[in-house]
Amino acid sequence: MPEVRFETRLSLTVEQIWAFVQDMNNWAPMLTGYQKHEIIDDRHSIWTLKGDVGILSRTVVLDVQIIEWSGPHRVAFTLTGKNESVEGGGLFEMQSEVAGAAPETPVAVAPRPGLFGRLLRWVFGALFRRQFGKVERLDVAIAEGVGSRLCFTLRMDAGGPTGPLVNALLEPALLPAAEDLGSKIAAHLEALHRG
Amino acid sequence: MFGFGKARKFTHTTDVVVLGSGGAGLTSAIAAHDGGAQVMLLEKSNRIGGTTAVSGGVVWIPCNSHMAEVGCEDSRADAMTYLRRITEGRTDEVLLERFLDAGPEMLRFLEAKTSLRFAPLVKYPDYHPELPGGKMGGRSLEPGLFDTNELGTWKDKLRRSPVFGGTPMTVTEATSWGVFSDPLKLPYAELGKRYKQGLVCYGGSLVGRLLKALLDRKLEPLLETAARELIVEDGRVVGVRAERAGTELNIRALRGVVLASGGFEWNAELVKQFLGDRVTHPNSPPISDGDGLKMAMSVGADLGNMGEAWWCPTVNVPGETYDGQPLNRGDFSIRSLPHSIIVNGRGQRFVNEACNYNDLMKPFFDFDPVAYAPRNRPAFLIVDAQYLAKYIMVTAVPGMPTPDWIVQAPTLTELALKVGIDADGLEATVKRFNGFSEEGVDLDFKRGLSSYDHFYGDPKNGKNPNLGTLSKAPFYALPVQLGAIGTKGGARIDEHGRVVHVGGRPVPGLYAAGNVTSGLMAAGYPGAGATIGVAMTFGFLAGRHAAANGG
Repeated sequence: MPEVRFETRLSLTVEQIWAFVQDMNNWAPMLTGYQKHEIIDDRHSIWTLKGDVGILSRTVVLDVQIIEWSGPHRVAFTLTGKNESVEGGGLFEMQSEVAGAAPETPVAVAPRPGLFGRLLRWVFGALFRRQFGKVERLDVAIAEGVGSRLCFTLRMDAGGPTGPLVNALLEPALLPAAEDLGSKIAAHLEALHRG
Repeated sequence: MFGFGKARKFTHTTDVVVLGSGGAGLTSAIAAHDGGAQVMLLEKSNRIGGTTAVSGGVVWIPCNSHMAEVGCEDSRADAMTYLRRITEGRTDEVLLERFLDAGPEMLRFLEAKTSLRFAPLVKYPDYHPELPGGKMGGRSLEPGLFDTNELGTWKDKLRRSPVFGGTPMTVTEATSWGVFSDPLKLPYAELGKRYKQGLVCYGGSLVGRLLKALLDRKLEPLLETAARELIVEDGRVVGVRAERAGTELNIRALRGVVLASGGFEWNAELVKQFLGDRVTHPNSPPISDGDGLKMAMSVGADLGNMGEAWWCPTVNVPGETYDGQPLNRGDFSIRSLPHSIIVNGRGQRFVNEACNYNDLMKPFFDFDPVAYAPRNRPAFLIVDAQYLAKYIMVTAVPGMPTPDWIVQAPTLTELALKVGIDADGLEATVKRFNGFSEEGVDLDFKRGLSSYDHFYGDPKNGKNPNLGTLSKAPFYALPVQLGAIGTKGGARIDEHGRVVHVGGRPVPGLYAAGNVTSGLMAAGYPGAGATIGVAMTFGFLAGRHAAANGG
């Protein structure tokens, strides 16, 4: 299944990150191409996103289900297209870091073949392309012994017979989408706790 | 230019200035360059290719040299007979003859001087192949695939089609693979691989190779450079005032200016004045705003064919945009396949749904003098479950969930009520159409009679490739909008591509080609690629004449 992973370090505790990430209302608007979202219940929401599918832009409505809720370290969710045949998912992971560790660069995990993976790439890649412009990544050197690593993993895949082609159109947008969301969350939290 | 206060200071001097980077502009620039002229090409958008880049990239040239190679016969007399009929006597025969003579020459020139190699489409008939002089194939040619990596740093500056840009296949491949009738059999993995490699097809390929030819000549177009006015001295067009990144450029053109700036379909005021409500959903990029037309008018150009466009039935997917505007998708094939009809508000068919897109639209403009309203608008494409089980309907793919923007209902009556058309009328129409489908003969509109219709039909579909019952629920409806791939009214030109003044003489120093000109084909459309074929031919003539004679 094709997926990408973005990592960044913050000079915050995992609890501080968790306090933000656990409420989808906080970060859903940070998704590239965000139009609106509707909370159905604690674990279920509907997102409307607009983004590039290859050359054109399209609006996609996604059904989002939280499937793992292990605070303060993990939140996992699935994505299912309501108006397009796409599936996918995401995973936030928060880990405590020791002081003085060197910042790492974002990692793109090599795509692995598979129907589900192809499906996933479609939704996020397509709909989340850099509508908000490039966001500067925060690799904050950990100071004063407080630090955490925030990892965001994103998978998207288009289904059906045209899936391989649609995925090719969407692939270039997947890592930027993950980078975009991860960076925005990091930037927001750093600003919040510094300010 | 006496008087210091009024003297215009030119920032650049060249021989020929070309405005626009579609098929007409690029061909004109290459011809002018190879004719010995220094050339500057200005493109107001941030990408090269104009309307040509989003098109099928096919070029219609009768009597082209490739026809004989594949056993397709043609003659100048046949072509002239056909064009006289298509243009209904509305076009100056001198121009038609010039097109027939210079078109093959233009192809030979490009094949000799650039990497373009055209392949005749032997199975793609003229749009009225049964008319006298019409042919069953070969007049339409395609450019094949193009590897955009050949453009180097210009790769990302090539305009891509929002519809064709993601499916890099040649027209010949598309036809042999059954792109319309058997879409699930397409090699999507291979197409995805080609896309990732940077291959483009259709208009992207045509423009890509023309751009490559330009770059090979060390001639780099100026992007995001918008011409604002023609500079006239002593009755002669001597240059262009343009703007680039807030800076004014005054470019002297010693031998001429070529307008190749496209139509006016995205200019609401011009559309209102000349076309009324007949174009509401243009299919072109939103850059064809009539700026070149206005420049021609400003120097007294005579106008012609202003009430015509290259009409095209159009559908929308809510939320889809291109260049910041709603994406209007031309419907070239959906309506031609079995199990589909187009009906008006009374639920009645009113046209052969499988005929060519330009002529299909003409009944949409019928006016009811008693009701004082359009007779056939609004109109809807209606299909049934059999259709969606076999064919692709815009973005609805067989076996996948049907998008919610396609209206559906379990019965025809409920469908009619949902979209606001007469239910009894629709039921009666479908009953009659189903009878035709069973027999394989459309007694009302002759759908499936012409070989042209078959090109977009399903060859495996029993008695008639274009007819099939609407009998299996659910039923689906989609509004058909009034689109055009471009307008075809504009400045009149002569046989050299010179713009003709209202007084009947050429405007010195001014040329034009493509959709900014008075369309050679009048209200007609002879075959696939006629728009680009004529545009490139007169672009070629204009560039060559300007280089040699200086207008």
